[in-house]
Amino acid sequence: MLNSLPMFLLMIIYVKSMYEYDTKWGMAEPAAYTVASDSETTGEEKSSSFPEIAIGVDIGTSQCSVAVWNGSQVELLKNTRNQKMMRSYVTFKDDIPSGGVSSQLSHEHELLSGATIFNMKRLIGRVDTDPVVHSSKTLPFLVQTLDIGVRPFIAALVNNMWRSTTPEEVLAIFLVELRALAEAQLKRPIRNVVLTVPVSFSRFQLTRIERACAMAGLHVLRLMPEPTAVALLYGQQQQQASHDNMGSGSEKIALIFNMGAGYCDVAVTATAGGVSQIKSLAGSTIGGEDLLQNMMSHLLPDSESLFKSHGVKEIKLMGLLRVATQDAIHRLSSQTSVQVDVDLGDGLKICKVVDRDEFEEVNKKVFKKCESLIMQCLQDAKLEVEDVNDVIIVGGCSYVPKVKNLVTNIFKGKELYKGMNPLEAAVCGAAVEGAVASGINDPFGNLDLLTIQATPLAIGIRADGNNFVPVIPRNTTMPARKDVVFTTIRDNQTEALILVYEGEGKKAEENHLLGYFKIVGIPAAPKGVPEINVCMDIDASNVLRVLVGVVMPGSRQPAIPVMEVRMPTVDDGHGWCAESLNRTYGATLDLVTLQKKA
Amino acid sequence: MSVVVSGSFFLSCSKPSQVHGHLNFQNPMPRWKQNFTVVRCCNRSSWEKPRAQNNYYELLGVSLDSNAQEIKEAYRKLQKKYHPDIVGQKGHEYTLMLNEAYEVLMKEDQRRKYDESLGQMRLRFDNNDMPLGYSTWKGPSRPQALFVDENACIGCRECVHHASNTFTMDEVHGCARVKVQFGDDDQNIEVSIKSCPVNCIYLVEAEELAVLEFLTQPQPKEGYGIFGGGWERPGNVFKAAESFRKQLKREAATRQSQRTGGTVEETPAQAEARAHASMNIKLESFLKTWKWVKEALGMNIN
Repeated sequence: MLNSLPMFLLMIIYVKSMYEYDTKWGMAEPAAYTVASDSETTGEEKSSSFPEIAIGVDIGTSQCSVAVWNGSQVELLKNTRNQKMMRSYVTFKDDIPSGGVSSQLSHEHELLSGATIFNMKRLIGRVDTDPVVHSSKTLPFLVQTLDIGVRPFIAALVNNMWRSTTPEEVLAIFLVELRALAEAQLKRPIRNVVLTVPVSFSRFQLTRIERACAMAGLHVLRLMPEPTAVALLYGQQQQQASHDNMGSGSEKIALIFNMGAGYCDVAVTATAGGVSQIKSLAGSTIGGEDLLQNMMSHLLPDSESLFKSHGVKEIKLMGLLRVATQDAIHRLSSQTSVQVDVDLGDGLKICKVVDRDEFEEVNKKVFKKCESLIMQCLQDAKLEVEDVNDVIIVGGCSYVPKVKNLVTNIFKGKELYKGMNPLEAAVCGAAVEGAVASGINDPFGNLDLLTIQATPLAIGIRADGNNFVPVIPRNTTMPARKDVVFTTIRDNQTEALILVYEGEGKKAEENHLLGYFKIVGIPAAPKGVPEINVCMDIDASNVLRVLVGVVMPGSRQPAIPVMEVRMPTVDDGHGWCAESLNRTYGATLDLVTLQKKA
Repeated sequence: MSVVVSGSFFLSCSKPSQVHGHLNFQNPMPRWKQNFTVVRCCNRSSWEKPRAQNNYYELLGVSLDSNAQEIKEAYRKLQKKYHPDIVGQKGHEYTLMLNEAYEVLMKEDQRRKYDESLGQMRLRFDNNDMPLGYSTWKGPSRPQALFVDENACIGCRECVHHASNTFTMDEVHGCARVKVQFGDDDQNIEVSIKSCPVNCIYLVEAEELAVLEFLTQPQPKEGYGIFGGGWERPGNVFKAAESFRKQLKREAATRQSQRTGGTVEETPAQAEARAHASMNIKLESFLKTWKWVKEALGMNIN
């Protein structure tokens, strides 16, 4: 955390100089930020006179938007160019970076000159051994990896100079712009936000999003998995419909499939009387970006080796190819074949006719993954295809014919749910949650809503050798508290190492390391005797606490003071952290699960 | 951090599959919360099953034989009231319990196991010296007796407040019942009868009391393989008592007819006997307890 502080302070100064806000809004108080970034994000902060309505923000991989509950309905805010959907990028020019909210690009190619950083949602909180980071190396700016499990080096080309930045900084810059936009239109200071995040984000990645918000002077009220925001909006629509029909408001099951540029998420929700219960969640890092990259390497098979050097020329080339491919994919949504004609310079020319079948063949794996996510989600919810009342497809990729087809095929030709804008659903849901979590009441009962969330990933510790033992399984209703009893593996073992992981892998190292701590002072006893109770508690604002206590058999009192640790504690480099711990301690401080005596 | 985590909190979750508790609500407590605290505070002696510490049915406010739909609806309703998104951090502990109760009751196998553990607890109570649910008498014998219709009772504690020697709260079922017949002076009892918001305290004939008190207790339902099972009590205890009396009368009449017209009319008697055969089998178990109740009562009256 210390090494990120100078950058963080720089950020504040930059924010201060760029936006001359009234200081009474508390915009430029570093103390407030540091507290915001590391304190818990509960929704307790009710302002003195009247409750401030939190805004809903959707920062997508390619587009971002902001919406707010205006007292009777959700309203999407437009920027000065009358856009609801704003491109998610930041261009570094001279000294002052500018984001996609406020600035105007003269041409799409300017985006790809090397000075513009985008796709940060794919990179935030990832280490350089992550395959997603490696696939991002074809982006027209610098993504450098050392492959040891530290954060990648990211830089923009400004005046023929690589200027380094971080995903957090880039996100913070356009969050500041979004905030300025909202403040200008709503004529009030904005502090609380509800952000949508992908289902597959690890807790470490969520802290990075919170950090970016803190840098922008925003307080995160809730981080909502994207499909659950859509589920909330669906719940509201169902409730309004049942009001109109004077219906009984019977339970409805909906499957939400959300595929954007960076991520693909699926959720199953059961809604009745304004309460949406999330039955299951599934998500993966696949999206339009993968379609684009696959298509690029299809059009130019040796593109990867070509772009390795990241010279100015290559970046330009990469940009040209990117724009042409993107354009082709967009056109393939309405046409069955397109002509790709692009001159990359240096005698490198692409002149090809690509049809829809070819596009679908190239991206076969991506679509297969989408199908498996849906099936997994249904299975986790213990539901059959026939049980689903409504199928909702949202996100940018919902315009791709193949995506629509594969979903309707799974649901045996069932008609898709209408009445939701695929691009705006998530941000609208976030805005509704913003109003609900801020304690706003609506006289017409439109905010009489609740989303009961579920944990998207299992959380557990390393035990039984190198295995991952979940304490809170996937799709557990939140708030949740579960415990598992462990014991020592050798006689007179007085210390134990608790390594907290999150994920679905069987082996510990296949999962994300969230944190670690040591239990000391276990009373000397033969192996298998001390009961080491590991309890995990997640509250409604998704704060995870791990509690560990040691109880000796026959005693009702803990032998040593109980440890309570808020997770995640790792701040960076979780890849090499685990390796280093393993090297130092080996299996000497291990634990095994205690078999319950019948 | 608004949730206080202390050593004792931790211990309360030191056994897996146990309901955790500690509530720090500042609001006036609704009934279930009081129950909960009381139940939790009772001494944790070694025989006590940890699961028996609070009742999931009571927590959700559903009856023992409610179906999944009813449980779901009750769960949603309570979530909407107590979810931390709505009431803030102080709803955390309660929502945790709700989630646990819901998880157990919605899964058929877990619910059955839980019902069994509940039943065991209740049987243990029944084996105690003091038969829970039957009132004792104080003072001279009277023609009328006090009886609380536990189906109607909303657990307001009004009667317990006014006449604490007569009425008591059944914390497991969440309703009041008579502990000692006329344990307080008549004036207090009259006040408590009048103060009942649902008028569920009745003056009944003394000889009817035992039947009513027996019938009002939840009885184990017969299970067929994996179906059925659990506990139930009659919806209207007075009607149930009436039909119980009718059954007794009919039985007596059957016996009479069997004794008198032994050989004369064979076929109709046989048919009637066959019709009542199943009823008699059922009644036998009833009668055993009935006799035992009589004995217990007789002793108390003397």
